[in-house]
Amino acid sequence: MASTLISAKYPTNIDATKTPLAYGNRAIPRLNRELNDANLLVRQRAVMSLCDHLHDPEHIAESIRTGIDKSLKGLLKDPDITVRQKATECLCVMAGHALGRDSFLENETIYPVALLFDDPEPIARKNAHMCVMMISETPPGAEGIVQAQFVDLLVKKLQVELDNIKEIILDTLHFCMRVDTNSALEANAMEAFTVLLKHELPTIRFKAARDIMDLSVPLAGKDRAVACGALQLLKDMLSDLTTEVRANAAGAIMTITITTKGKYTAIHAMTIPALVNLVDDINSEVRLNAIKALTCLAEAPEGRRELLQHVEQIRNHTKDHREAVAHAARIAVKVITWLP
Amino acid sequence: MTTVLPQKPEGTYTFASQPRAVPQRKKYRDSAAQQQNPDGPTSYGNIMYDRRVVRGNTYAQHTLPATVQPDPLELQRQQENRRRAIAKKRAKDQLRPRSPDPVEGRKHIDVQTELYLEELSDRVEEADQECQTDAFLDRPPSPLFIPAKTGIDVATQIYEGDLFDFDVECKPILEVLVGKTVEQALLEVMEEEELANLRQQQRAFEELRNVELVEQQRLEEQERRHREEKERRMKQQREVLKKEKETAEKIAARAFAQSYLADLVPSVFGTLSDNGYFFDPVERDVEQGFLPWLMDQVTVELDRSELGRLCLDGLLRELVSRRVDVYKQLDAEIVQARKEEAEAKKIVTETIPSDGDADASPDTDKEKSPPQAAEEELYDDDQQPEQAPSDDTEAAQDD
Repeated sequence: MASTLISAKYPTNIDATKTPLAYGNRAIPRLNRELNDANLLVRQRAVMSLCDHLHDPEHIAESIRTGIDKSLKGLLKDPDITVRQKATECLCVMAGHALGRDSFLENETIYPVALLFDDPEPIARKNAHMCVMMISETPPGAEGIVQAQFVDLLVKKLQVELDNIKEIILDTLHFCMRVDTNSALEANAMEAFTVLLKHELPTIRFKAARDIMDLSVPLAGKDRAVACGALQLLKDMLSDLTTEVRANAAGAIMTITITTKGKYTAIHAMTIPALVNLVDDINSEVRLNAIKALTCLAEAPEGRRELLQHVEQIRNHTKDHREAVAHAARIAVKVITWLP
Repeated sequence: MTTVLPQKPEGTYTFASQPRAVPQRKKYRDSAAQQQNPDGPTSYGNIMYDRRVVRGNTYAQHTLPATVQPDPLELQRQQENRRRAIAKKRAKDQLRPRSPDPVEGRKHIDVQTELYLEELSDRVEEADQECQTDAFLDRPPSPLFIPAKTGIDVATQIYEGDLFDFDVECKPILEVLVGKTVEQALLEVMEEEELANLRQQQRAFEELRNVELVEQQRLEEQERRHREEKERRMKQQREVLKKEKETAEKIAARAFAQSYLADLVPSVFGTLSDNGYFFDPVERDVEQGFLPWLMDQVTVELDRSELGRLCLDGLLRELVSRRVDVYKQLDAEIVQARKEEAEAKKIVTETIPSDGDADASPDTDKEKSPPQAAEEELYDDDQQPEQAPSDDTEAAQDD
């Protein structure tokens, strides 16, 4: 029955939920026009099509030139849930590109996006947080978020949001704290992270540990971490089954133990045996962080005394195939075997 | 609105009109002005003059126009004719005899001239009629509408695949759908993969960055501790030096002070004790209180003893002088006695020669110690017969 005959008539709308794209370079202007249409159905279909269309990175620049970003900014306040959620998704895709981030900051789209943090629809909230996360990846974007004072809001949201949104918020805060830690400290972020260390999801645990590491880079953060009792929890996480959790817990410990107070709290929490176990881990990040943490702990006389028993184990790693690990191990051995 | 298209003599007459209600007919003729108004709804007039009604033989009407384009001259002539007819009709209306104008102050009114008067009104009499139907019965469900069959039944045989060929009809659509979906999915997967790659690189970078950051902070902290320790040590050392210096100074000062004070103390003590700053209270009391008193008492005592001595001297002088007197008396008596004795001896010498010796010794005693005797008399009153001689001798010696 196979023949070269082709059906003369296609159905008018193969997919009724999407508006058909215009040919060639007319596609984006038409979508832009339809985005601002008064008819809800037209808007919905346009935003659905746009969402798929934007996934091709070649279309980002043209859509920004046409002003799609401004139309989407207007659609963020749309009463219809589908439109809002798809508009945020579009913005999210755009924010994945440098051009999109620039236009985001230029148009100050962050503010309407932040209003969606209180949206009743979880998908819209999630997409809004994704947008902010994407924006925060670059230092200018993170700076913009810090300047807009969203850190406080994000920390508050961190305590009440759904689990998958929590992950995104933790990522956003991670990037924001690379720029500025003071606002996070003022927002009591350390307490929030410490609570999340006990979360059942490994992803959230590892991200919380990573954020503690970021937050304890300044001196005030280290003191706060010690005051919150984060070290005990982090020590328990060192024996976690997930690699990333172990790596970041060790990382957080190495950051906190810079101060003398942190060192002694860690030594009293019996972190040294747990960290020594991690020295032979398969993952290089775990090894690296554990060795660094041990180096910090070895600066205290009690720690050095305890670590002198394990010095051979660390010395084995001075010939590690990862240069960074080998370097760290050499420093660690030097610090442990240091004599006054 | 009724639209009457101008009839072309050549074309067919066409008429189109909106449906409308029949207007109520007036009983009387309206004023000329209103009648002339063509805008108002024209009432249906006499059918005899209705142009829609075809009169006469119609055979000759369907002649095709000689020229497709009507002659403009002919058109103009027709229009002129029509205009003239209207003007004529208007003139005729105005020429129609009318009732004469009413006299000044009066006006025309309608008056009935019939035998019986009846109420006049513009309205046509109407009467309302009502009728009540029975209550509705329950409406039976309307039967399925089946349009009446029209046309002629024709039958034909269709074999499978004749009308709908899945491959022909659906395959291209499916191909488009699948192709688009896969393309879209590929785009999204690539996008996500790119993001994941970025993340991985980011994490690898962050791993190193964090470690370096910690290393830097650790060294900073170490440096800070060393600096603090150094400062503390330096401070300690400085304090030790300061103390040493202080001690040396103290020792030097002490030595100097000692050497300075070594001869100072005795001299000061000397001066002070010379100035009477150091004294024994007992000695001072003795010196200040007791000795003057003692001196006074001694003076008093001496005065008294001098007085006593003076008295004694007086007494002695008196006694001596009295004794001298006595002794002179006695001497005189003795001389007298001797004379008597001598006289008696001369008488008695022949009688008692031994008596003379015995008498001679007491006489010598008496001559030797006249003062003793006087003193014996004095001390008879004091009842110190044995001591008196020694006291006297002492007193005499003092004097």
